[in-house]
Amino acid sequence: MVDSLQARLIGVLQELRRIPDVVAVALARRDGLLIAHLLPKSMDPKRIAAMAAAIVGTSEMAAGEMGFGPFFQSIVDSEKVKMLATGAGEEGILITMVRTDANMGLVLLSVGKAVQSIADLMETAAQEVGT
Amino acid sequence: MGEPDTTRVKTGIQILDERLRGGFPRPSTLLLFSDKPTEKRLFAENFAVEGAKTGETTLYVDFYRAPSLARAELARFGKFSLDHLVIVDAISSQLLVPSMEKYSVKDIGSLTGITDVIVDAIEAERPARIVIDSMEFLSDRFPKEAVLSEWQRIIEAAEATQSVTCFLFINWTYHERDLGTIRAMSDFIIEFQSSMRGGILRNSMRISQMQEDGIRTNWIPYTFKDLVGVTVYFPRILVTGPFNAGKSTVVKALCEKSISIDRMGTTVAFDYGSVNITGIEAEVFGTPGQERFEFIFRIFAREVSGVLLVVDATRPEDFERAKYMLELIGPRIPYVVLANKSDLPGALKPDVIARKMELPDETPILATVATANSGVRDALLILAEMIIGVR
Repeated sequence: MVDSLQARLIGVLQELRRIPDVVAVALARRDGLLIAHLLPKSMDPKRIAAMAAAIVGTSEMAAGEMGFGPFFQSIVDSEKVKMLATGAGEEGILITMVRTDANMGLVLLSVGKAVQSIADLMETAAQEVGT
Repeated sequence: MGEPDTTRVKTGIQILDERLRGGFPRPSTLLLFSDKPTEKRLFAENFAVEGAKTGETTLYVDFYRAPSLARAELARFGKFSLDHLVIVDAISSQLLVPSMEKYSVKDIGSLTGITDVIVDAIEAERPARIVIDSMEFLSDRFPKEAVLSEWQRIIEAAEATQSVTCFLFINWTYHERDLGTIRAMSDFIIEFQSSMRGGILRNSMRISQMQEDGIRTNWIPYTFKDLVGVTVYFPRILVTGPFNAGKSTVVKALCEKSISIDRMGTTVAFDYGSVNITGIEAEVFGTPGQERFEFIFRIFAREVSGVLLVVDATRPEDFERAKYMLELIGPRIPYVVLANKSDLPGALKPDVIARKMELPDETPILATVATANSGVRDALLILAEMIIGVR
């Protein structure tokens, strides 16, 4: 049951990974612990999970402080890669890394679908376990 | 160190072996128990391979896996000589294929026949360790009274050869009273549980010795890695304390590889590193100390295994803040206080700090110098022992 949640989450990540120009994806918890990842060997998934939590926590705080309404995602824009850290349900953060010249319309649409699937999966699992 | 202790067998998990005063005494009967399907086999396999690695004979009775598969899976726990691992094949006859093993069950429909094979193997091999994987296979198929009496027969044979026996058992069918009987036949009970929070699965175990005043641990979280086997695992050790106490330096001193997100000499986000010492693996998170970064602190102050509270021993004015940070993390979380910068002139002694902070009696407080890596590791080990909790 629990293993199958992990497998299903990986399935969602794999689907997102197949979008053109998406180079890496991972799923972290809002408190900075890693849930699942499809990252290249050169990256440390646990560190990235912790950083994404700090980025999302800080951004969410900033958005709230300035009265921008609910937070959706942060984008780290750098020379080679853009990193999207998107809230996925109450507990999760979806990390998507794409090439800078990627078709952002398609990327954002796919990320939006993925976070919805992740939120649904995690909610169902939480109900099954009863916590 | 002298001769290796042959009156005990090690679990291979160093911090547990220390708690068990060198391992499980020979002979003894271990019940690896859960009431739901969870990972008990990892511990049993780790235990079997640990024995085979050190040259002890280990007998593994397997009702579920072909011996070749069992050997392949056991090899994930590290290298050992196959001569030391004797398998009692209780699967081939279920599959109607011939067995290649020295010991094999011929008729899976005969309970006493099964026990005869196991007892013969014990008497012939005189193993230091035995794993029976698993008793629910028998309890599902045979009448309860008969299973309990054959169970007792295996225990007696194992005691005669000074063996330590692991019985894996999930309870599907027995009532509490029968469980009481099974517990009473055992010297140690190792319970297993799995839980899931926010998409992450955690395994933990708890060891209780049945005799009065015996050892009893808290729930110990553990993890498994190929070739390393089972290790105690703390998903989050929080290093926290007031501004400029030396938290980042403590994280650096503990972890070979760590990162710090700092600007102008103060942590603005967090420090992170992982530790691997004496059979313990831990993720270490350092928080910012300044009040304006408290929202970051709250992100990481969840599901905390234990806390290293760092205070600057020369700045008693910050002690109040340190206590407040502990409160933010929540009640009943084990913590150790590090009286840091204890080499500086004017540094207060740990007992003075404990009094000024009004710490509860028996709160461990250590004088440390994080810049010189002094006392920091000891603090982590003390914290680990508090989390594991042995009485």
